Amino acid sequence: MSLLSIKNLHATVGGNEILKGINLEIGPGEIHAVMGPNGSGKSTLSYVLAGREGYEVTRGTIAFKGKDLIDLAADERANEGVFLAFQYPVEVPGVVGMTFLREAYNAKLRYLGEPEIDAMEFLKFVRSRAKTLNMSDDMLKRAVNVGFSGGEKKRNEILQMAVLEPDLAILDETDSGLDIDALKLVSDGVNELRSENRSMLIITHYQRLLNYIQPDHVHVLAHGKIQRSGGKELALELEAKGYAEFSGEAA
Amino acid sequence: MALQQVNKLPFEGLIAAARSHKLGNWHSKLSERASERYTETGWPGPKTESWKYTSLNKLTSGAFALAEEYSAIVPEDMIMPLICPRIVLVNGVLNKELSNLKQLTGSLSITSLVDLEDHQKIPFDDLFKKEESKEYLPLTYLNTAILSDAVVLEITKGSKCETPLHIISIGSGNGIMFAPRLIINAGNGSKVDIIESHVGCSGSEYFSNAVTQLYLGDKSEVGHYKLQNDSTGSFHIGLTRAVINNGASYDNFTMSVGGKLSRNEVRAHLKGSGVECCINGAYLGAADQHIDNTTFIEHQAEGSSSREVFKGVLDDTARGVFQGKILVHPEAQKTDGYQMNRAMLLSDKAEIDSKPELEIYADDVRCSHGATVGELEDDLIFYLCARGIDRESARRMLIGAYISDAIDEVKNIDIRSSIQSVAENWLKQNLYGK
Ligand SMILES: Nc1ncnc2c1ncn2[C@@H]1O[C@H](COP(=O)(O)OP(=O)(O)O)[C@@H](O)[C@H]1O
Ligand SMILES: [Mg+2]
Repeated sequence: MSLLSIKNLHATVGGNEILKGINLEIGPGEIHAVMGPNGSGKSTLSYVLAGREGYEVTRGTIAFKGKDLIDLAADERANEGVFLAFQYPVEVPGVVGMTFLREAYNAKLRYLGEPEIDAMEFLKFVRSRAKTLNMSDDMLKRAVNVGFSGGEKKRNEILQMAVLEPDLAILDETDSGLDIDALKLVSDGVNELRSENRSMLIITHYQRLLNYIQPDHVHVLAHGKIQRSGGKELALELEAKGYAEFSGEAA
Repeated sequence: MALQQVNKLPFEGLIAAARSHKLGNWHSKLSERASERYTETGWPGPKTESWKYTSLNKLTSGAFALAEEYSAIVPEDMIMPLICPRIVLVNGVLNKELSNLKQLTGSLSITSLVDLEDHQKIPFDDLFKKEESKEYLPLTYLNTAILSDAVVLEITKGSKCETPLHIISIGSGNGIMFAPRLIINAGNGSKVDIIESHVGCSGSEYFSNAVTQLYLGDKSEVGHYKLQNDSTGSFHIGLTRAVINNGASYDNFTMSVGGKLSRNEVRAHLKGSGVECCINGAYLGAADQHIDNTTFIEHQAEGSSSREVFKGVLDDTARGVFQGKILVHPEAQKTDGYQMNRAMLLSDKAEIDSKPELEIYADDVRCSHGATVGELEDDLIFYLCARGIDRESARRMLIGAYISDAIDEVKNIDIRSSIQSVAENWLKQNLYGK
């Protein structure tokens, strides 16, 4: 059975239909890349999956682990195991990184009906995860993303993912704005989290990231629909030819 | 002005009733002088500059009598949660049974004017005369004209008080008015932290017209933290005046959460040089609450610094007012002044009026001010929800973080965290289910 099954998904934002019939099946442990020109609806898809208000599903279904996602609020989806690494992580003034992680982790435990984690134990766990991403204790003591560089914000997203251990991670343009060293750090962090029961949906405009995180399947999203699907060679083809084939009005 | 003098002023009937009340002849004279000033200044109206954002119509349309009862049960869940000696005033009068006067150390002495014979009160005359200034402070004069007691606190020169002192002013009863009056004299080189909790018994609706005067001797260090958590439906008009001498430091913070209409006015006069003065505050308003914070910081001498950070959160149809004036005299070279006022509006119908005012007559000064108004951004809430935190908790965390930023200004750690818990309680009670 698929972990995520999207059927004929239509969604509107601010009254405009952006997603116009998406079909996508992601099996356990699979890595899917969604590529496409700017404005094609990639971030919209990620928000619709994460349950952002204002992104309205007008037709179709989303099943996650067999459950209908559409009726769940964003926090419930997160606690079911959906994680979105934001294209533009926001700064959260006054909320300390470590506190934020603990609140999120405990929210999930409560959702699952389990007791909350001991603070010391949690600190050790987070430190071990932060180490892989080369994130200092100091960054965890600061307010979430406040004053962080672009690269630090993206690393922070991956740290949250490493701590929350989702079943489905959606990475929205995690590579954008990263220099080559930061890209490597982030990709290593992501690869470390690959496992047979964790699937990923990697959204990217460029093929570059896919050199580091090898996908099983590649899809091209344009005009609110998946126009083509293939293996990782499709990414290379797009890199060479660009998205010209998919621009202009939808077929 | 002429018209105002012809009209009868609000509360004039109470002034007559208050004379010869508890404080005898001595008070009659004091009251006469104060009521003269009261009549001269007149009642604040829509044209009164310093009151233009705060209308007292709701107050004057009510009927108030002087309080006669001076005992109550301390509403423990309303006061600042701190374990330290207390002085409790009920309806403006010291209640010894509820206070821990015996726990006070030798370096602190307390006098309640009710306890004194008329001739013993004479030395205190000067303290009251200082409040008969040329300023436009009708409600302060009204306080003097009707007060039933005044509590004078002396901190001996050079003594450092390790534990804070908690002054709890309780309002008890419906339709009553009372006038808490505190006078705090911090001797040269002394150190003390004073907390004021202004609270009410549940269901009581009253008018508390409070005045606190502080005199900070050379190199003294005074922390002064006020919680305004009067009961719903009540009015609180408070004046805090601090006169600060050479090298002294004054750390003031006001947390306003209670009452129907409140005004907290702080007037700090930096008489000495090398003074460090912080006038900070936070306010949380819901329903149709009106919360006014008005400050005046006067730099009179060279080389002093003042810092002012106010943050507020307003929901429903609550309205906030912030007026902050900084006056720098020509002699006050090398003044360093900073003022910041921020408000977060949680509803379309909430409102904040903000009026910063710098008046600078010295040339070598550094003064800055700023103000922002914002709302709680959906982006932020979604970010937290996307990490599994429910909407209500997310709002509470974000608003809590916003307001803590101001509370973090409080220098004493224990008091800081107790103010923090007052804010958290408010958030729990007011944001539930939104
Ligand atoms: N909040 C919004 N309101 C209205 N239109 C939006 C909103 N967000 C995105 N869009 C529109 O939806 C389309 C897809 O945007 P997006 O999903 O961000 O694309 P991508 O991530 O592929 O670059 C764009 O045309 C964009 O202008
Ligand atoms: Mg995008």
